[in-house]
Amino acid sequence: MIEFHLDPSSGVATYLQLVQQVQQALQLGLLEPGDRLPTAQQVVASLAINPNTVLKAYRDLERAGLVRARPGLGTFVVGQLPRTDPAAQAKFRRSMGVWLRSARDAGLTAEEIEAIYRTSFRDCFAEGVA
Amino acid sequence: MTRFAWLQARTQSLAVLAALAALAVVAAVTGIHMSHLYAGLVAHCEARGNCGVAITDFLSHQRFLQDALDLLMRLFPALIGAFWGAPLLAREMETGTYRLAWTQSVSRRRWIVARLGLLGLMTIVLTGALTLTVTWWYRAVDATQASRYAFFDRRDLVPIGYAFFAFAVGALAGAVIRRTVPAMVATLAVFAAARVAIATWVRPHLLSPLHLATSLLNSNQFGFESSNGSAPALVVRGDAPNGAWTIASRLVDGSGHTASLAERVAFVKQNCPNVVPPPQVGGSGPHKVRIPDDVAAAMDSCREHAAQTYHLVVSYQPTSRYWTFSGWSSASSPRWRSCAWPAATSGSPGASAEPGATHRPRGQVPLVSLTA
Amino acid sequence: MTAAIEAVAAGKRYGRRWALRDCTLSVPAGRVVGLVGPNGAGKTTLMHLAVGLLRPSEGSIHVLGDVPDGDPAWLAKIGFLAQESPAYARLTVGQHLQMGEWLNPGWDSDFAGARVAALGLDGDQRAGTLSGGQRAQLALTLAVAKRPELLLLDEPVASLDPLARREFLQTLMEVVAATGLTVLLSSHLIADLERVCDHLVLLVAGRVALTGDVDDLLSSHHLLTGPRRDISSLPADQHAIEASHTERQTSVLVRTNQPILDPSWTVTPVTLDDLVLAYMRQARDGHPQAPTMAVAR
Repeated sequence: MIEFHLDPSSGVATYLQLVQQVQQALQLGLLEPGDRLPTAQQVVASLAINPNTVLKAYRDLERAGLVRARPGLGTFVVGQLPRTDPAAQAKFRRSMGVWLRSARDAGLTAEEIEAIYRTSFRDCFAEGVA
Repeated sequence: MTRFAWLQARTQSLAVLAALAALAVVAAVTGIHMSHLYAGLVAHCEARGNCGVAITDFLSHQRFLQDALDLLMRLFPALIGAFWGAPLLAREMETGTYRLAWTQSVSRRRWIVARLGLLGLMTIVLTGALTLTVTWWYRAVDATQASRYAFFDRRDLVPIGYAFFAFAVGALAGAVIRRTVPAMVATLAVFAAARVAIATWVRPHLLSPLHLATSLLNSNQFGFESSNGSAPALVVRGDAPNGAWTIASRLVDGSGHTASLAERVAFVKQNCPNVVPPPQVGGSGPHKVRIPDDVAAAMDSCREHAAQTYHLVVSYQPTSRYWTFSGWSSASSPRWRSCAWPAATSGSPGASAEPGATHRPRGQVPLVSLTA
Repeated sequence: MTAAIEAVAAGKRYGRRWALRDCTLSVPAGRVVGLVGPNGAGKTTLMHLAVGLLRPSEGSIHVLGDVPDGDPAWLAKIGFLAQESPAYARLTVGQHLQMGEWLNPGWDSDFAGARVAALGLDGDQRAGTLSGGQRAQLALTLAVAKRPELLLLDEPVASLDPLARREFLQTLMEVVAATGLTVLLSSHLIADLERVCDHLVLLVAGRVALTGDVDDLLSSHHLLTGPRRDISSLPADQHAIEASHTERQTSVLVRTNQPILDPSWTVTPVTLDDLVLAYMRQARDGHPQAPTMAVAR
């Protein structure tokens, strides 16, 4: 059974972190169709978060077609995430390496590079901010 | 709620009960001993004619317990009030546990009634056990006393009433003051003040006293009083019959008019010219003075003359009313006590209206009391 | 959704000092509501009004539909954990559970026994010798085992060490997940509230400065940074809560439900911490009547 972790300082909403952790687990093969997700009670007993947060995350996952709630039995994994093509992964890792090396050669420090990365990442994936 | 109230009151109740049990054992052993002594020394003293000596001898035994139990009966109600009544609500406030108690599913009223009621009941029961023990223990000693009213508030029902009153005062103090130790102090103060106030101002007026008109010749407290070197005044005091509680006595003439100080001075001047003050005696306290024969004769004739002019009216509460007073005391608060009245005149031991006066056989030469 | 607690202009006065004034709020049922505010803001006063330990000097308060007047049937529906978790020092843990059983008709003794065992508490240990965390857990058990509909907790974790605090919140959330009861939890530590609360009430100096669903609050407040400018130039639907200026830059916390179209602003989301602090400062320094967000349900 998957075990959730919470990073309160990441700036990412709690329920989103739960969703992402399920998605990552699916991608890495740690979760497979038929596996049962922990109950809201179990999750909050270890994380001390609001149960509605867990329910919200599970609802999101259900809407995305990844899990289904069976009343009285629990929430079960039903879907599969398309495994990313390993070739595509390798390609982007190479282009990322090129970008990093050129930024370093241009004189940017490691902190500057990381700041640029984080801001761009946030802008790309941030939700709901108009 | 009753069960929980008992859970909270359990320890203190059992502690006092254990102490009382120990006391009962001591009282049983010594009390039986006292009974034997009484039977031996005092029971037949009238036939033997040595009552005064016999009683004194008897009373000299177990002095420590006599005093200790007496003190205990005076203190117990106050202590119960302070230690049981005051902390009841004050401690809940102080420790904050009232926030736990009053958010359980019982109404505030039910909570208070259960806790006050249970502890109040325990107070009555335990004080009752105490007075039972102590009154029993004292029965031989008390039989030698002239008046039942001497120890009125330390036997039978009155201490129970006192204890419950003190408990009630304590609970109220705790509720108002909300701190345990100040509430305890306040309880003791209020209780003591109430006791004194009631004894001084209320009890004498509670039931109209009976009046007894009697001849001056029946009085054994006949004398003259002079203060600060002024002319002597006639002073006669009477005792109530059969060891009842004498409240007051006064000289009354034929028409029912009470003799005033001026009239009593005038009487002496007119009718008892040969009375002279006895020699001065040094030191404090009472002294028995041997009065010369001619002065004694003059006093006797003066007395006969006075008896023709005045008679005594004694106001008293009879012995038969003892239980009425007890019941009154216990049924309502506050309680009374018969205090040792401050002597009506200074320096004269025989002239006070103290209702605890021991037997004094008639015919003893009265003392003349003078104050410089 | 009915309100678990409904206060209308409620106030409480001690002599001339108002501990709580003009407090109007509606605590929705089925939520975990955080009551936050600086010390002396009136959180405890509000709690005591809600459980009937105090009567309001003005205004009204209704809890679960009734006025808190000490009626036993109503008392059975609420659970209260007072500040510092009071317990009878001379009674044992087991005797406290007995008290719960005797004094509460809805008492679930199986649950209470299981909880105490799971916590590792010794039933014969006197409450006076328990640690702060253990006493808080005992008090929580007492409050929950009577099966209330509404649970009120007055600064339950304030004096606990981090581990005890985490364990307490774990227990609390587990109970909420299992029973769905409404919780009102007061604290002056926002970090704890952020994890567990989905609705927030902010009290400052005896008045309500902010109230709303945590999600709504976070999604409707933004921190805008950009070149220095006058705040009054903001569009009407963007309410500035707090602004600060340097020589070249202006940062302003705004509340709005509309998109922010001005490209010269950099928009960042706000943490609950920053949001609450901003409203606290504003209530204390400038504008006592901060715009409140009542949740319309």
